Amino acid sequence: MTKVPEPGSYRHTIRLFLLLGAVLVIALVVRSLLVPDSFGVLGHFRLDAIEEARQSVLRHMEQDVCQDCHDDVVGLHAKDAHAKVSCETCHGPGAFHVAAEGEEGIHLPEGQRPCLVCHELILSRPGDFPQIIPEDHYRFVGVREFTTPCTACHDPHEPLFMDRDLRTARLHPLIHRCRDCHAGRFDETLARPEEHPPIFQCEYCHVQIAADFAQRPHRQVRCTTCHLFFRESDSSGRILRDADPRFCLLCHRDADFRSDEAPPSIEWPDHRDDMAETEGDLQKQCIDCHQDHIHPLKVKTAAVAGSGSEE
Amino acid sequence: MDFVFPNELNVTWTVMIVLYPYITGLVAGAFIVSSLYHVFGRYELKAVARFSLASAFVFLLFAPLPLVIHLGQPQRAFNIMITPNFTSAMAGFGFIYTAYLIVVVLEIWFVMRSSFIERAKGTGLISFFCRAILLFNLYEDEATQRADQKIAKFLAGLGIPMACLLHGYVGFLFGSLKANPWWSTPLMFVIFVFSAIVSGISVLIFHYLLVSRLNGWKIDQPCVRSMARYLWGFMIVAVSLELLELMSIAYKQTEEWEVLGMLIREKLFVSYVVLQYLVFSLVPFILLGINSLFTLRDRLANVMIWIAAMMLLVQVLLMRWNVVVGGQLVSKSMRGFTSYFPGVWEKEGLAVALVIFTLPFGILWLFHKIVPLFPDVEKYQD
Amino acid sequence: MTVEFKNSRRQMLKLLAAGSGLLVFPIGSLVASERKPTADGKYIPYWAYAVDTTRCIGCCACMRACRDENDVPEGVFRTWVERYRVDRDGEVKVDVATGNDHVFEPVEGEVNRAFFVPKLCNHCAKSVCNQVCPVGAAFNTPDGVVLVDQAHCIGCGYCVQACPYGSRFINPDKHVADKCTFCYHRITQGMAPACVLTCPRDARLFGDLNDPKSRLNVLLRQRPYRLLKPEMGTHPECYYLGLDREVV
Repeated sequence: MTKVPEPGSYRHTIRLFLLLGAVLVIALVVRSLLVPDSFGVLGHFRLDAIEEARQSVLRHMEQDVCQDCHDDVVGLHAKDAHAKVSCETCHGPGAFHVAAEGEEGIHLPEGQRPCLVCHELILSRPGDFPQIIPEDHYRFVGVREFTTPCTACHDPHEPLFMDRDLRTARLHPLIHRCRDCHAGRFDETLARPEEHPPIFQCEYCHVQIAADFAQRPHRQVRCTTCHLFFRESDSSGRILRDADPRFCLLCHRDADFRSDEAPPSIEWPDHRDDMAETEGDLQKQCIDCHQDHIHPLKVKTAAVAGSGSEE
Repeated sequence: MDFVFPNELNVTWTVMIVLYPYITGLVAGAFIVSSLYHVFGRYELKAVARFSLASAFVFLLFAPLPLVIHLGQPQRAFNIMITPNFTSAMAGFGFIYTAYLIVVVLEIWFVMRSSFIERAKGTGLISFFCRAILLFNLYEDEATQRADQKIAKFLAGLGIPMACLLHGYVGFLFGSLKANPWWSTPLMFVIFVFSAIVSGISVLIFHYLLVSRLNGWKIDQPCVRSMARYLWGFMIVAVSLELLELMSIAYKQTEEWEVLGMLIREKLFVSYVVLQYLVFSLVPFILLGINSLFTLRDRLANVMIWIAAMMLLVQVLLMRWNVVVGGQLVSKSMRGFTSYFPGVWEKEGLAVALVIFTLPFGILWLFHKIVPLFPDVEKYQD
Repeated sequence: MTVEFKNSRRQMLKLLAAGSGLLVFPIGSLVASERKPTADGKYIPYWAYAVDTTRCIGCCACMRACRDENDVPEGVFRTWVERYRVDRDGEVKVDVATGNDHVFEPVEGEVNRAFFVPKLCNHCAKSVCNQVCPVGAAFNTPDGVVLVDQAHCIGCGYCVQACPYGSRFINPDKHVADKCTFCYHRITQGMAPACVLTCPRDARLFGDLNDPKSRLNVLLRQRPYRLLKPEMGTHPECYYLGLDREVV
């Protein structure tokens, strides 16, 4: 087609494009008015948002705050097995309790559940962490009712009545439990196969004690039940030879919740007071008299449980 | 194989987000048809040129609706234009949509100016409405009409890349997410564009044949056959790209294939393998292929084409569903799946989706009452 | 536990007081992911997190503490603990204690290996969530924490889709995006995040990477660690000590 196209008339479009232009300009102006004030200062965001994020309500406090009012409990707690468990792990958030200066309460755990949340045996838990199957544990320590709360024996702030601060306890090479590698149940009847990788067992080093112990009444109790071991690294940990009488009493205190198969139990301190002949006897601990039931010990004083290795 | 991260149990992008790319897809496809006529001189499409432009406009009006319903804070929706973060594909939505809406509105203004003028000469509310749209300038002569045509042609050409961008950015939005193995592919942009065109042409064919039949109008046969041929061509490209993407991940079998293969074989087997491909791709391919390769009688051809168009409408919807929802069914832990099916009456449920999808057709009918959309059956100037 | 924190708390408070003054004024030259102190010499910490998976016992005290501290609604999680069980055939089973009290029940079965893995937002230095937020409601603070501007967020959910770790969610009460904030309101006052505070096993650790003497830095020098999904290129600032190969 060679015909030259005739020109068009665009006058009727002026209003339209003017309107369009006006709308765009107004939109741009409105947009710049609506941009939040602190936007773009540090980056493509509202700087005020950082300050707003800092204004959230605090619900948890920190451990040293609890000490201001509860220093007796905190003192006990800091020396025992739960030293690294913060107060609010079990008691829940404490900010309101602190702000009300104790007028408003804090959560007080009840029953077995709060303890079993950590201490029930679950396969995925690291083997070195103290865990129990509740029925087995109750059977072993001779408690009749499986619903007896843990706190009947264990004070949650002093669960093991450790006789010394863990940080001052003796270092010891790593003690393995079967569960450390085998995330299944510990089966005491299993014989150790010959090709099993070598692991340290107590009797390798402590030959005589182990041989002697095997003939004593406590022979079904594992060494690490009383010689509490806390793993610190991949090769070592701290061992405690807990001589605090209250520790022995965890199994041996007489109570109405004991079962018929319970270990021999006594009243305390009645038992010691009855047996005491001198003033000094009133300071004695279980191990001072009951070495026959355990194994030969070298004790320096009644209050400090053993030092130096035995052979 | 049944683990999902705990925050993945609820699916965040619901059927609303399936509907949004579907509607913008209809827009893009309808606009392409209109531009085929206005820009590329495909004069056999004259019968639907105006109708496709109006369809594009009406669907475009409804496109933001599913998004606004989905937003947690819809009253802040304009934040994407006030403080857009341009590293985000989603930030493009506000500007692309607005610009494209302006282009489509302008093109309608110029293409249908004569019809508006004719309608404006009269009394009544609609006439006043038309006068307002014309900005109260009812003058026209041959020169202005030539100008109108030139500008319309320019806008139609300008609108093609914008339509592709409007729909393609959604594809990029999904395809650029490295965290989601089902979505992450460079092909996503192109797949979305081509399947959008398929859905757009399909809705035009579907609607045109249905409306013509219901009103007893004479169907412009060359137009329908031409659209059917375009549909067949675009459909081949779209499905080929989708299959290419599938073949690529199925062949490479990188780490995510273990869970994606399970997604395809189990969770999405019915909606993806059976429905999207075997039923709603293969059958229209055959129907349209026969029509494109052979010349059948008009009536038979129209029935086959209409069925194929309807099936392709469903195919594209299924494709959107399988992409959007399918991608969220897979856990980012690569270890399991969650599940999702929209409720009927909830805020982002099926009832609302149905309303959003059918309302545009009602608005088109209103549009037709104001300005005739089918020049073949009613007087027109174009 | 907050052993590292208690020692440097006073120093931290002093520095943070100075640092927060800095945040009020424009310091346009500062790039959010920069780890060194700024040119004008004011100290800004760079917060990071470490998880010791060999120590976690799955008590989920952290999950409960986080929920209490941050008002997290039920059904969504700012942090969680995954339990892995690898059986004798090598098949991996994973679960999370999503029930309301967050307690793992013992499960029977023979396993080869089993362990717990705490998870939380990794506060990536090059986070995808920041990149994809359309309105600029996701950002890195100068001290290395990724936050959500909940007053500006439109609740589109793009960041939730973009996070490779599943750390983000739409808060069902507030209808905006939400996630772990490292307890920003606590760490800016020299306290530890609630999860770190209540973990009874030192399985969760928090500290300042800009301080070469911080316990976190010492630990990262001594022990091998892995990051989650490093191939994503997000540079997460959450270091997993002793992470097993099955963890994704």
